[in-house]
Amino acid sequence: MPLDHRRLRGPEESQPPALWAATAAEDEEDEEGAGAAPRDPCALRPLFARAGLLSQAQGSAYVELGSGTKVLCAAWGPREAAEPGPGRLLCEFRRAPFAGRGARGRPGAAAEREAEREAAAALREALEPAVRLGRYPRARLAVSALLLQDGGSALAAAVSAAALALADAGVEMYDLAVGCALCRPPAPAASWMLQPAEPEERRAAARLTLALLPALNQVSAVLGGGRGGPPEDWAQALRLGLDGCHRQYPVLRQSLLRAAQRRDAAAAT
Amino acid sequence: LSICSRTVEPLEYYRRFLKENCRPDGRELGEFRTTTVNIGKCLCSITTADGSALVKLGNTTVICGVKAELAAPAADSANKGYIVPNVELPSLCAERFRSGPPGEEAQAASQFIADVIENSQMIVKEDLCIASGKLAWVLYCDIICLDYDGNLLDASVFALLAALKNVQLPSVTINEETGLSEVNLKQKNPLNIRKHPVATSFAVFDDTLLIVDPTAEEEDLATGTVTIVTDEEGRLCSVHKPGGSPLTGAKLQDCITRAITRHKEVKKLIDKVIKSITPK
Repeated sequence: MPLDHRRLRGPEESQPPALWAATAAEDEEDEEGAGAAPRDPCALRPLFARAGLLSQAQGSAYVELGSGTKVLCAAWGPREAAEPGPGRLLCEFRRAPFAGRGARGRPGAAAEREAEREAAAALREALEPAVRLGRYPRARLAVSALLLQDGGSALAAAVSAAALALADAGVEMYDLAVGCALCRPPAPAASWMLQPAEPEERRAAARLTLALLPALNQVSAVLGGGRGGPPEDWAQALRLGLDGCHRQYPVLRQSLLRAAQRRDAAAAT
Repeated sequence: LSICSRTVEPLEYYRRFLKENCRPDGRELGEFRTTTVNIGKCLCSITTADGSALVKLGNTTVICGVKAELAAPAADSANKGYIVPNVELPSLCAERFRSGPPGEEAQAASQFIADVIENSQMIVKEDLCIASGKLAWVLYCDIICLDYDGNLLDASVFALLAALKNVQLPSVTINEETGLSEVNLKQKNPLNIRKHPVATSFAVFDDTLLIVDPTAEEEDLATGTVTIVTDEEGRLCSVHKPGGSPLTGAKLQDCITRAITRHKEVKKLIDKVIKSITPK
């Protein structure tokens, strides 16, 4: 691995202690997975969203899913861009090194950077249809998402947080983009599940992430792959995902409203 | 009438307040912003990390996550483990930080934290060794700034201390016959933290005035900064003064005295939080 001169160096290689405790832990996990009652595939985990919490960014949002996924996102309004042309949306996605359950992600490693670039491109795809870029010619809008803890459905949470942050920054948007993730366990006749937790996502045979503009009822991005079964299954998964997005929408709108009220109260004092 | 605007002439604006011995946000020159810390089991704990803490110093928010892994010790120090701090200033904490590899400020902060750990002997590396020459713990301490409003170093040191106090390492034994290591995830032990260093930062204005806990605006206007790190016995661990206006010995002594007082405040806060989360 090439030396990263900008960070302090530790040992060449290190392994998480969970590797050495493999035998005992895996038995437990399998027991848990099989013995636990199969969860309701349409159940949405509790969602906590709060906008307007960073002081240095124009708009910010924090989204936390019940499974433990925590995403913090900041957005900056239009700034002058060097190149002429229509407005551009620049997205960035970062994982904290302690976000994953297993080994610590090495920041700066090529694999990490690839994954982050992919996620950033996916974010952009999901957000662009929601933002009125036509209103900001020659400008660039920046969105930066940081994943603090990965408990499954990370990209979906990031999409919701990024849309909230943009709205909080006062950028003109057609609608909020709401993200929802689904996965299908490897069992032969299994059905798609909404908002998988991290162990479910890891063992899944197929994963899907959707981004929807609920008020306009338009899908802005669909990402996924795997061994999902016949096409009707995928269509059914899409419908399930769209329903999940619609159900999350009121929570996100409420958090925006509360942030605006807080800002008003602070400005009045 | 001279209209002095905060955005047009920030330095003049500040000078008028400093003449009255106070600051625009209402603080005195020696007063810290409200400090809050959330450790481990409280809200915003990172369950994927072995130890975590979130520290807010006014608006400055720093989160520290510690992950422990196993590695072979280095050839020249066979009985020492590793502690690897890594300070990250992502682009979301302030507009001036760009995404990409760590910039100058992040690198300087990482080096400062490494020096503090080494100089204060907060964690002795020999404690992290499990079997000399074969296996040792590596503590990756990732400190991420979520919101940058000045005084990054104080908040980072505090977050690191709080997170390390929260770390629970699984017990590791080396099987005599097979030579393989066995990890028992059920039995966890806390780290042996020998010293509790606390950092206090000052900004120097106009080569003469010292103000404690500068905000981002004050840091921009300052002519120099000083950071003093003390431990619980009132001893000096390190003085970090990267250039800037020169200080007389007397002024430095004042800083050290204030740092010692601050240490007591911070220690009380940490003890209170830890007591509230330990199960009775």
